[in-house]
Amino acid sequence: MRFMVIVKANAESEAGVLPSSEMIAAMGRYNDELIAAGVMLAGEGLRPSSEGARIKYENGKVTVTDGPFAETKELIAGYWLLDVKSKEEALEWIRRIPFTDGEEVELRKVFEASDFPVDAISEEHLKKEAAWREATQKPIRH
Amino acid sequence: MRFMIIRKADAETEGADLPTEELFKQMGDYIEEMVKAGVMLAGDGLKPSREGARVKFHNGQPSVIDGPFAETKELVAGFNIIDVASKEEAIAWVKKWPPLDGHGEVEIEIRPLYEAEDFGDVFTPEERAREEKMRAEMAAGTGNAVPEGQRPSN
Repeated sequence: MRFMVIVKANAESEAGVLPSSEMIAAMGRYNDELIAAGVMLAGEGLRPSSEGARIKYENGKVTVTDGPFAETKELIAGYWLLDVKSKEEALEWIRRIPFTDGEEVELRKVFEASDFPVDAISEEHLKKEAAWREATQKPIRH
Repeated sequence: MRFMIIRKADAETEGADLPTEELFKQMGDYIEEMVKAGVMLAGDGLKPSREGARVKFHNGQPSVIDGPFAETKELVAGFNIIDVASKEEAIAWVKKWPPLDGHGEVEIEIRPLYEAEDFGDVFTPEERAREEKMRAEMAAGTGNAVPEGQRPSN
C-alpha cells in the first residue's frame, strides 16, 4: 500500500532557510536506504508558501490569493511517497528520518483504484489510469 | 518549473464519501488533458486523516500520534505535480479544476518545488551526483516493482 509522508513546515522552511550540507548528506543516505529497499516512489521539497498561491472556488467563482500563508505549522515543506506493506512499516521508516528537533511529519494513506466501488469508475478510465501510473510511478532502484 | 497542486481537505474528504461516477469522469478528463499537454508528472488522492498518523521529532526522538486530525481545512486531500513554464501557467491549469469536485466549493494551494540549483554550494557535487542518479532512474522508470515478499527487510 502507498503512503504519503508529509513534512510539515516550520519557521525555517517558510523563511527559505536551506539545509546544511550535513543535513543534505544525511537525507541523501536515508533516501538511498529507501531506494535500496525498493519502497521509495517519489520525494520532493517545497519552496516557501511566499512563492505559492491559493485558489478558492465558490459558487463558480475563482479567487486567487498569493502567499505567504500564516498558519506555518499546517503548511507543507516536503513529502515522500512510499510503497510499503503496512502502516507499521511506514512508521518504521519515518522513525529513521534524520530529523533532529521539532520537525513534524504526517503519514497519510493513498487511495488505490480498488478502494472505489466497481461501478464508480469506467473500465476505460481504469485502463488509462493504470497505464499512466505504470509510466510515472515505479519504485526507484539503483 | 515544477509545482505541487494541493487539494485541501473538507468535511466530505475527511468523512466517508467517495467521488461519484460523474466526478471520476470529470477528473479523468482533466488529468488526461494535462497528460496530453505534457505537464502532468504525478497525482494521487489521500485517504481520510483517521487512517493516518503524525510523527513528531524532539531531540531526534520520534513520537507517534494516530489520526484523525481536527483542523480539516488545513489537511491535504490530494495532490498533483505539474511541470509548467510559470506560476501563471500553473494557476491557469488550476482554474480549470473539475467544477463537480467539492460541489464547486474547493480550495487549492500551489507551491513551487525545490530544484537542485536552488541549494548552491551546500549541495555538494557528491550529493548532486547521488540525486541526479536517483532522478534519472525515476524518469527512466528503470525501477522494476519488487514483489512484496522479495523485498529486503529492514
